[in-house]
Amino acid sequence: MNFSAFSLRSTGWLVLACGVAALFGTGCVEESSHSHTEVAREAPDALKVVFTYGSEKEKWIDVMTAEFNAAGHETTSGQPIVVEAIAMGSGECVDEILNDKREVHITSPASAVFISLGNAESQTKLGRDLVGPTQDLVLSPVVIAMWKPMAEALGWPDKALGWREVHEMALNEQGWASLNYPQWGRFRFGHTHPEYSNSGIISLIAETYAGAGKQRGLTLADVADPKTGQYLEEIEKAIVHYGRSTGFFGRKMFSTGPEYLSAAVLYENMVIESCDKEGLPFPVVAIYPKEGTFYSDHPIGIVDRDHVTADHRAAAEKYIAFLTAPDQQERSMEFGFRPADVTIELNERFTAQFGVDPQQPQTTLEVPDVAVTQAILELWHERKKKSNVVLVLDTSGSMKHESKMANAKGGARQLIEMLGDEDSFSFLPFNDNATLWVMRNEKVGQKRDEANRQIGSLFANGGTALYDAIIEGHRHIAETDATDRINAIVVLSDGADRDSKQKLEKVISVIAADAESASGGVRVFTIGYGSGALADVLGRIADASRGKYYEGTPENIEKIFKEISTFF
Amino acid sequence: MSTDDGPSLTFLGKLFLLFFVAVCAAGAWWLFTREDGAVSGGPGPDPDPGTGEQVDPGNQTVVRIAYGTEKKRWLIWAVEEFEKTRDGKNIEIELLGMGSIEGARATVAGDPQIHVWSPASAAYVDVFRNQWELEHGGDPILHMEDLALTPMVYVMWKDRYDAFVAHYGELNFDTVAEALAEPGGWGTIANKPEWGFFKFGHTDPNKSNSGLLSLVLMAHHFHDKTTSLEMADIVNPDFQTWLRSIEGNVSGLIHSTGTMMRDMVLKGPSTYDVIFVYENLAIDYLKNAEGRWGQLHVVYPKLNAWNANPYCIIDAPWSTDRERKAARTFLDFLMTEPIQAQSLTHGFRPGNAAVPVIGPESPLELYAKYGLRVDVPAVTEPPRGDAINNLLTGWQRIRSAN
Repeated sequence: MNFSAFSLRSTGWLVLACGVAALFGTGCVEESSHSHTEVAREAPDALKVVFTYGSEKEKWIDVMTAEFNAAGHETTSGQPIVVEAIAMGSGECVDEILNDKREVHITSPASAVFISLGNAESQTKLGRDLVGPTQDLVLSPVVIAMWKPMAEALGWPDKALGWREVHEMALNEQGWASLNYPQWGRFRFGHTHPEYSNSGIISLIAETYAGAGKQRGLTLADVADPKTGQYLEEIEKAIVHYGRSTGFFGRKMFSTGPEYLSAAVLYENMVIESCDKEGLPFPVVAIYPKEGTFYSDHPIGIVDRDHVTADHRAAAEKYIAFLTAPDQQERSMEFGFRPADVTIELNERFTAQFGVDPQQPQTTLEVPDVAVTQAILELWHERKKKSNVVLVLDTSGSMKHESKMANAKGGARQLIEMLGDEDSFSFLPFNDNATLWVMRNEKVGQKRDEANRQIGSLFANGGTALYDAIIEGHRHIAETDATDRINAIVVLSDGADRDSKQKLEKVISVIAADAESASGGVRVFTIGYGSGALADVLGRIADASRGKYYEGTPENIEKIFKEISTFF
Repeated sequence: MSTDDGPSLTFLGKLFLLFFVAVCAAGAWWLFTREDGAVSGGPGPDPDPGTGEQVDPGNQTVVRIAYGTEKKRWLIWAVEEFEKTRDGKNIEIELLGMGSIEGARATVAGDPQIHVWSPASAAYVDVFRNQWELEHGGDPILHMEDLALTPMVYVMWKDRYDAFVAHYGELNFDTVAEALAEPGGWGTIANKPEWGFFKFGHTDPNKSNSGLLSLVLMAHHFHDKTTSLEMADIVNPDFQTWLRSIEGNVSGLIHSTGTMMRDMVLKGPSTYDVIFVYENLAIDYLKNAEGRWGQLHVVYPKLNAWNANPYCIIDAPWSTDRERKAARTFLDFLMTEPIQAQSLTHGFRPGNAAVPVIGPESPLELYAKYGLRVDVPAVTEPPRGDAINNLLTGWQRIRSAN
């Protein structure tokens, strides 16, 4: 080999190749698509940019953020940039910044409604906006997702459907039997909690517009009109429960089937994604309400707070530019989103084959001003479906340890704080005795202090008769016969059942039979508290009732109770 | 979150490996950056790889330009081209997209410190000069030159346009007023209740030039005149009543014309049936609209106004000579034939007279089937500052009463 014939540049390539070969040879080259959190741990001197966003777009953001972080972006001074993207409810995105719970640099709730509300509150509090100018990331219209045969029974697609049909079915005591489908039972509807979830607040605003017979210019007088309140209340009668997460509704609807929900307010992209799932009893279609709907346009903006430095701002602009670049925009369609980049045509996933219509929505509603939106929320609190909640709380001896009892009390108080004045509350603390009711069917508004005192009076002692306690709670609700309410049992236990007379299979069969009843049954939310709790047992109990299971710790128990509260 | 279960090194092993790789990379870099047979000249500004000229990244001049978003796409492209030139290595252009009138206010306020104001038209220049005189004294504009021209147009979804003219005969401000007042909406106009109410949009006249021109051209239409508006025209009670019938039901009223056009194409006919914007935006977005919703149609009002996109170099207390010269350098670049020719692609009529408007590549001819035309009907004289101020005051009162 004649080295003199090599140019310096060729030698450079050779030397570089040696270095790269060393990395590959030792197996120290890691996969290129790190999760953003892993990259953060390996680059402790990186400039961390915290991005909180509405969880509707979690799948797309996860993939995009991993790619951005893997690409090795740097500030002008050479500091690596790492984006930590955190999914949450849209309301939480705003709430965390307003209350200084987290130092956030970029935020993207699911719609501009939350930006407006957040900026208004921030102006009142601090005389400055919460978020600077925003731009849309992706779009997805808010739709009423309905099982296709049910939509067809209502006249779709020849007839344009909307809130009018939802209202009529909510009032119809015969349910689907009135359309010759008795096997489908009552009309069961769902939307999320409007204070925590974008689709929830959108549902309410759309119902209010429909009730007022308008598409724009909604006023305080419209909201205050008794006819509007009555219309809203009548639709809310069909609600099975609320909840924090639109994703949860979608997943439950698709996995459980029409016996759980006839229809729910979801996003168009979730209807498209449902076509990728196997085992659905029927296809799901998107109804674009004829009275009008909203786009969820996922605005993204840089937070206006002092902790956002010039470097953070520059890094944030790079990340936003990345998300809005054509390649990333094109890939949002894989997740059912309409790109905000107008140069990109919608692909084949936006067709009737996927249950959607690219020529819809034909009518969108004007975002009302902040005062009207706040009035709508107050109206909802008055007119929402009320709850009948039973708290079944483990007070066995093992709850003494690791501050479990103290923190469980804090969580229970959180539940009491979040229930409405007209909600009904019953309290069954249990150990090896599962019949010691301390409160039964009390109106929360009248007995809130009493409930807190009862919670505060608990101490840990005795065994664990978990199954008997759940059956007792269930029996109590059945006797109460409050079919016009959301009936729920919240169960917290830190260990295995040792003292019940009843067996687990009895609990499951009682709950499951009730869940299939015409009224939709009692939802059981179970919290497995600490390492001794049996996740599989509590999970089965929750699933049998179409409720939800949570893994609780003394650190997260208050947050769990808060989340459970959003179902009511 | 995944974890890697492959073989792992000790800390010392990792340190050694890192050192080895760093040495390889440093050596490779040193070899790459040396020219064969060349000798390094020591520390100094980076040589321009294209020209060998010295570029000093620490000594760049920043020129901050507040511009109306109707020319966003063209300007962003132009800045990217400028960055490839010798001048572009030493001058950094910072584009601040905002409504034309917003830009004027920000320039007067000095927040941010703007070196160039480029609104969509000269309509607000008089008012801007007056505001500057009050705040800073003197004439703010060192040099003003028209970058690219565009008239105003109605942009409407074709199927809705056909239905509209079938009912009303013509699209103009009078028929728009009638349609806005129609309680049955499209159900009455075209037997299409699923289209909802008739929706006409323009931008906020307090913030955006096209919004202001909407009001100005409404006034010209009402009084059927092309000469400059008088105060008597503005305070005419019949005109104010007629204006209220439109402005009480108008949609949009956002600060950016570019954003309004984009929203129409992105979100479809559910947001607007028709908007009143610049011709260039219609041209810029025609194909995108077809890719999402369907065909657009363009109609020119009988009485129109030119938006010449003046580039105004500001004589500001915060501007240095260097920044003013840099602003002029960028202006000269924007007026060169290749850059002006590209403005045609984005729907503008070039400010450089050497670049022809007509020709087989001209969008005005290529897209004639969408209603575009080379000749523009009668053009009105620009209004005076006092007429504009009173027009805006009257409008504000209409909106407050709503």
